[in-house]
Amino acid sequence: MDNILEVSGLNKRYGDFALKDISFYLPDGCITGFVGINGAGKTTTLRSILGLTNMVSGNIKFFGMDMDGNESKIKDRIGIVLDEGCFYDELTLSEMKNVIASAYKNWCEQDFIDYMEQFSLNPKQKINTLSKGMRMKYALALALSHKAELLIMDEPTSGLDPLVRSQLLNILKDYMGKGGKGVFFSTHITSDLDKIADMLIMIDGGEIVF
Amino acid sequence: MLISLVKKEFLIVKKYVGIMLIVSFLIPPIMLWRMPEAAGAMGFTLTVIFSIFMLTQYVSLKEYQYPKATTLLCALPYHRKIIVLSKYCFCLIIYAVCCLVFGIDTIIFPKLGTFDIRMAAIAFLVITIPISFYFPALYKLGYEKTKFVFVIIIMASPVLFAFLFKPENAVRFSFLDSISTTTIAILSIIIGLVTFSISAILSIRFFEKSDLT
Repeated sequence: MDNILEVSGLNKRYGDFALKDISFYLPDGCITGFVGINGAGKTTTLRSILGLTNMVSGNIKFFGMDMDGNESKIKDRIGIVLDEGCFYDELTLSEMKNVIASAYKNWCEQDFIDYMEQFSLNPKQKINTLSKGMRMKYALALALSHKAELLIMDEPTSGLDPLVRSQLLNILKDYMGKGGKGVFFSTHITSDLDKIADMLIMIDGGEIVF
Repeated sequence: MLISLVKKEFLIVKKYVGIMLIVSFLIPPIMLWRMPEAAGAMGFTLTVIFSIFMLTQYVSLKEYQYPKATTLLCALPYHRKIIVLSKYCFCLIIYAVCCLVFGIDTIIFPKLGTFDIRMAAIAFLVITIPISFYFPALYKLGYEKTKFVFVIIIMASPVLFAFLFKPENAVRFSFLDSISTTTIAILSIIIGLVTFSISAILSIRFFEKSDLT
């Protein structure tokens, strides 16, 4: 089985907090849960591997390609769901979609329309009128409409009611069933992982525990 | 990609675009009424400064309110360089619209004088200087600290311009009359573009080094 993500020797310092020599890999075809308490370093790790923060040292490989020099090519193959509030709230769903769709070479408008219908989202609605659960579904619709091979999500279930969390987990199963190569999601709600995760990575105090 | 990001800037300020169009149309005739001797060039330059800084500042305010939206854009295949360059293009488009609006003003109010290439080029040079400081400062220091620079520019520009154009003041631009219009226009545009380019390079460098929240 090939690895779709390999992280080795990742170090990053933020004031008093530091990621220390983070190394792990994600095998092809797995849903991987990234667990840890609040402040353990989950979000910093995810942001570092996506190039959103500058790491002190380390090597990140997606699909066998180094992040350095292949960033756009790699990001074109990844779907991203960040924690809530990652949109310009005053735009409509359709306007925000246009901004995001332009970034991807493989954007599939029909997939997006299908997801919007499946999630009962109105493209003319303003983002600031969406509930937390609807925002998460909208973020998923955006992340899944460009034939992403890997889905990376930061705390997607946080703050959602049990019904929406259950729907989200079903969407992830469907995504893997439709040919997704992997899902990597951080959470501190371990009950979600019991239902869906094939593999777990735990972080604590900026260090990988297992 | 660049066009989409520029469109995004306009979408963020869509509520204010109409208002700024009306304001930019009204500033020159109002100046013609209050300060007829300096209405043409000064009116146009003030229009450009107001329009660009008001809209740019509003975009910056929204990005400050929704910092994770920028983080999301950077997590997409958009290169950070393109995100920065879209801000500069946004300003250039506003400048072009101001030229068009002032051109219409000069047709409706002939006393404003002729809108020639020299006026357009000098206004371009004048606006590139504050913008060239503003964006690198924004990326290096953040919105909160930079907004004071913006307030100073907006508040000081009418006073400064009024001072410069008063007949009793020593500052004169009559030396420009001895240089051909084409030379002034070309020099202004070249200096403006060079300043803009250096500023863009600095902004890109600062933004690429920044840690996104």
